[in-house]
Amino acid sequence: MSTATSSAATSSVGAEDLIFDVRGITLRFGGVTSLDDVTLQMRRGEILAIIGPNGAGKTSLFNSLTGVYTPQEGEILVSARPGDSPQSVLGKKTHVVNHMGVARTFQNIRLFPALTALENVKVGVETRQKSGPVSAMLGLPWQRREERESTRTAYALLERVGLAARANELAGSLAYGEQRRLEIARALATGPGVILLDEPAAGTNPVEKRELAALIEQINAEGVSVLLIEHDMKLVMSVAHRIVVLNFGRRIAEGSPEQIQRDPVVVAAYLGTSEEEAEQELETHDQPELHTIDTSGDPLGHGPAGSGTPEGPRS
Amino acid sequence: MSEFLNFLMLGLTRGSMYALIALGYTLVYGVLQLINFAHSEVFMAGAFGSFLVVHLVVGEGEGLGGFEQLLVTLLGLVAGAISGAVVAFVLERVAYRPLRRRGAPKLAFLISAIGASFFLSQLFGKLFNRLGNNQFPDYLHKGEVLWTPFGARIKLLQVVIIISAVLLMIFLDRLVSGTKLGRGIRATAEDAPTAALMGVDIDRTISRTFIIGGALAGAAGFLFGYAFVFSNTMGFIPGIKAFAAAVLGGIGNIRGAMIGGLLLGVAENLIPTAPWVGGDAWIGQEWTDVVAFVLLILILVFRPTGILGERLGRAA
Amino acid sequence: MNQRLNLPDWAGRAVACLFGSVVLAMMVGPQQGSQNDYGVGFRQAVLNPRIFYFLLIGVLVFFAITYQDVVRRYASRPGVRPLVAGLLVLLASYFLMRWYDPLGNNAKFAGLADAVASTSGLAPLAKAFFGWLWWVSLVVLVVGIFVAIARRLRALGWAMAGLAVVVGVVALVAHAAAADAGGGIDHSYGAPTALVGYLVLAGAGVLAARSRSETAATREFVERVMAFRPGLPLVLMGLLLGVLALVSATWFAPQQANATLVDTSSLFSGSDASGLSEAFLGWLGYVLFVVVLLAGAAAVWTRNRVVGYVAAGLAAVTILIVLVTLHDISATATEAGYPGADGPWRDLGTGGWLLSIAVFSIGAGAFVAARRAHRPAGADEARGTVTGRLHQAGASTTVLSLALFGIGLALFYPPTATTFWQQALVTDIGVYVLLAIGLNVVIGWAGLLDLGYIAFYALGSYTTAYLTGSLPVQPPSWLQLSPLWAIPVAIAVCLVAGVLLGAPTLRLRGDYLAIVTLGFGEIIRIVAVNNPGNITNGPRGVESAVPHPVIDLGFLRIQWGGNQLQYWYLLLVLLAILIFFFYRLEGSRLGRAWAAVREDEVAAQATGVNTTRVKLLAFAIGASTSGLAGVFFASDIGYFNPQNFILNNSILIVAYVVFGGMGSLTGAIAGAAVLTWLPNFLRDQVPSEDRVMWIGAVLVIMMIFRPQGLIPAKRREAELTGLAGHDPSVRPAVQAVPASEGV
Repeated sequence: MSTATSSAATSSVGAEDLIFDVRGITLRFGGVTSLDDVTLQMRRGEILAIIGPNGAGKTSLFNSLTGVYTPQEGEILVSARPGDSPQSVLGKKTHVVNHMGVARTFQNIRLFPALTALENVKVGVETRQKSGPVSAMLGLPWQRREERESTRTAYALLERVGLAARANELAGSLAYGEQRRLEIARALATGPGVILLDEPAAGTNPVEKRELAALIEQINAEGVSVLLIEHDMKLVMSVAHRIVVLNFGRRIAEGSPEQIQRDPVVVAAYLGTSEEEAEQELETHDQPELHTIDTSGDPLGHGPAGSGTPEGPRS
Repeated sequence: MSEFLNFLMLGLTRGSMYALIALGYTLVYGVLQLINFAHSEVFMAGAFGSFLVVHLVVGEGEGLGGFEQLLVTLLGLVAGAISGAVVAFVLERVAYRPLRRRGAPKLAFLISAIGASFFLSQLFGKLFNRLGNNQFPDYLHKGEVLWTPFGARIKLLQVVIIISAVLLMIFLDRLVSGTKLGRGIRATAEDAPTAALMGVDIDRTISRTFIIGGALAGAAGFLFGYAFVFSNTMGFIPGIKAFAAAVLGGIGNIRGAMIGGLLLGVAENLIPTAPWVGGDAWIGQEWTDVVAFVLLILILVFRPTGILGERLGRAA
Repeated sequence: MNQRLNLPDWAGRAVACLFGSVVLAMMVGPQQGSQNDYGVGFRQAVLNPRIFYFLLIGVLVFFAITYQDVVRRYASRPGVRPLVAGLLVLLASYFLMRWYDPLGNNAKFAGLADAVASTSGLAPLAKAFFGWLWWVSLVVLVVGIFVAIARRLRALGWAMAGLAVVVGVVALVAHAAAADAGGGIDHSYGAPTALVGYLVLAGAGVLAARSRSETAATREFVERVMAFRPGLPLVLMGLLLGVLALVSATWFAPQQANATLVDTSSLFSGSDASGLSEAFLGWLGYVLFVVVLLAGAAAVWTRNRVVGYVAAGLAAVTILIVLVTLHDISATATEAGYPGADGPWRDLGTGGWLLSIAVFSIGAGAFVAARRAHRPAGADEARGTVTGRLHQAGASTTVLSLALFGIGLALFYPPTATTFWQQALVTDIGVYVLLAIGLNVVIGWAGLLDLGYIAFYALGSYTTAYLTGSLPVQPPSWLQLSPLWAIPVAIAVCLVAGVLLGAPTLRLRGDYLAIVTLGFGEIIRIVAVNNPGNITNGPRGVESAVPHPVIDLGFLRIQWGGNQLQYWYLLLVLLAILIFFFYRLEGSRLGRAWAAVREDEVAAQATGVNTTRVKLLAFAIGASTSGLAGVFFASDIGYFNPQNFILNNSILIVAYVVFGGMGSLTGAIAGAAVLTWLPNFLRDQVPSEDRVMWIGAVLVIMMIFRPQGLIPAKRREAELTGLAGHDPSVRPAVQAVPASEGV
């Protein structure tokens, strides 16, 4: 572990109030080790960013946290909402983990394109409802009430992400940035204690990125912790309270944005050998014209990542 | 023991024919991710096509010498393969390609194939006849017993069928793993858009995949038609069994289809009669299909992507 | 790939067209091979001078495709579409439809024409029409209208329109004269259809004369008509049908007594029939019709809500009185021993039912007008969802009008149909519509490919047979039930079976699920055939007939089984209930969850949807609908056997759902109705063994030209276009199948 790890880890917040307590998880696919003895703690109320080059295991970590993959070793405890006692995620189905208060978005947008924006969000709201098929068929009063509530909540959420005007558009016909925000709204609809955002800024333009940063901070201010995977360093540095760096499935660093920027191990991970060059790159986020690090795995590392082509939602 | 061997041979005979048909399902599934529901009619067309040729050549097939018998068998296989290939080619052109061009939903392909299946089966019935008991000229004397090891009766016909099927399967395996066309098929199966970018002509590859699958099914049609009877509706049951065999082995997986076919053929002949328990029938022949399907369901419940797993291109 | 000769495009097309015409030649005609000569069918089809007709068709198609730019330029002129539509309708009426039922197998136009030619004493006009006028006039009309369109000759357009109307009326009159001379009971629709065809041609002529624009705008035109006065077309339709019913249709027809309303009135004046009936036949009928018509017209014209509902109410009362009268006269005639009268509701002509349809249509028009009147106020609630928009679209005037007219037909048309069609309507069409809307839940909404759907139908049927004591194994005596009470049990049995099958297998993906369900269906059928423990009575089917249901409330006793019509109305009730339930389900949270699972299962799970539960619910709901259909089928048909539950039927139901338009309730109904009607219709057209072949061809052609089905669901349509606009990697030409398909 690097020097940055130890400093801020357990001192300031009460050690018990963790959202995620990930203890030494290892995830293998056949012969490939995707996560190797990863340990990390996420505290309630924080915005934690996970960064690392492509193939570092970030998305595998997300999938492990949400129950899509089950790591072969280690333990993941989650207590998403305040007052929940920590429960293990391992072996639980994805929707159960979601019901425990963990919501997520996807790197390649995965909306329900043939439903309207409003309906997409309603799907999320309604996973917390009780009425069954019989009451729906008969149109019983409580089913109608739930239906109205779901519409109201969904509208409020769309309002919050700035999509209320497009509520009746098909999700598939929304612009790219709007789809990203809709996915966040859908995740929030399940009333999570923590939301996992997988590259929410990918493929968005600078204006949208600023809006996104504001949205993330707003979500956080409303009491939802945020776990963020992002390649856009400017965004990460501006919103994250803490950063964890993964490389080759291992946690190589952890600390505040400032610490991470100065961490030589991180710099080396991103840019191979030439540490000085890398350090420069990492700091360039202050300069307006060259504000991102390319993390596409290109060892030469030039060109802003954020302007890359949007990935297809179902590629 | 003798009973066991008898049923084992029976199972291998049927199984090798299932495998030949299953290969067509699996090849098409590999490149298109579609069940070609009309494949059973390709099989049926092979039987009719080879019958017409064989009938023309040998008449009632009396008094042929050994070498002539071999030649006629080869001729039947080739005629069946060509009929099957032609029908499969036309099928792809008419019932699949226009839908692909339009980006039709997946179920539309299924319905198109079902329609084509109804159409072909009844058109052949209308042209040739709708009777259920057409027979090939018996030039091989199919009842003839070749060996009697351990008291079992191994028939010449069974040997011919198994050898033909094995040769065809080896040929296919070579074709897919060794030739440029085979590489195209595998590349298309793996990732059609990328293959297209790499210069593989997708349309032509798909067309040829249908032709290869159709030829195998057509040859199987000849073997099946000769061994039993043939009719315009003969494709239905073997078609479903072969489909099940393809799924059993892992649909899209060529070796899976071979294994699935043989396994299904042997299992459905050995399990219901259970010669080793001694009884003539402990469940009874009439439960053959139930045994096959129960086996299929059980295997899929425990191995959801079949015995060898999916996909033509990928390792299991 | 190796070098190869690249043929020019046109060569390939020519080969394809000629090949197609040879295949068509093989399809048409009675030829059939035999075991003595396998090639005889082929030779008759292909090595025969008639092949040249087919080749000619191929050549025409070839030129039409090759010069499609020119063709299209002409085809988009205003008037061409109605011209083609009218021509097709006329060809259908002359060559496909029956003109005079008593002629049996010869009942089509040609048969009637022969009969007319050999009958003396007919009106010369009728003789001329059946002899040469029909085809001469048709040729003149088609050529004339086409010339009028192409050369923009207004006078010719008007002249042709007038001629078309005249010929249409002549056709009707000639048919009436011929039918009168024959004197038999006739249910045929050839002549009225021909009239419709001529009217459409007249419309084409008018368009040719009136329109100045270069291209046709059919859709805009229809919408403008609908928006002008919503409900007006329905009222006009009602007027037309009503006049026909009051003036020319038969009201009472035992043993060739083809009594029109006037005749019927004099027949029953002074009889035991009630005063109301006599009044109705004498004068009240006319008065009521005029009153309803005026009220409907007023509602449509003023677009006043209150007037609209009043008119609709008047229509309902009128229909009630019509029905009372119909019952009364048939019952009275039977009691009085009128020759040929055999019971209430029997021997009625088409008149009463036609009048009911007419009045219903006017009422529906008024209702549409009323709905339109108060729309803007209450449209907010459901707007946010696709289903909301779907509801909106469903409420759009055209669709609403069509749907209401369809309901009118469903209610009052079947009594006028022949017993053959009544039987077909219930056991083929009705039952399969029921099955299709159930399977639509599984395939269309949840995206699960179920190829063993018929198994639940079998379970429902056998459960009913068991509970009513029709199987070798008798239920305990306290359990012996009437088929109506078997409904909940059968539904429960199928629900459980659906869950038992679904729970372990629903995690399988599309094609694996398909083969597993297929296997399940076959297992159920084979068990029924093999009859372990003598439960099912094996391939012979049930031991004794399943009894017909009875409702006995003391004061009210309804006994089914007298005729198919009773089952038809029972079926309508079941359908109405199910459609209402499913309609609500589609817009509920479960409906949205189905759509979510179908489109992206991973995302649905991550959003907290319990996908297994949601899929199981779809499976179970589908299964229980199938079971309900099974109960209905068993009690209707009485005797059934495992042959009713073969795999082919499962596959056909899937075809109905997809043909109609996956995920759309109306689509599933339309698909099942069309494809089950078709074989019954083809009975008159082709050798009966060939019907499956033609249906196969229809399926392929439909999927080629309209893969989304007859009436696609809005959600599904959106799904097909999906996110493709944003996804550069989706190239339809390369990708075999859109990845978004859930199945």
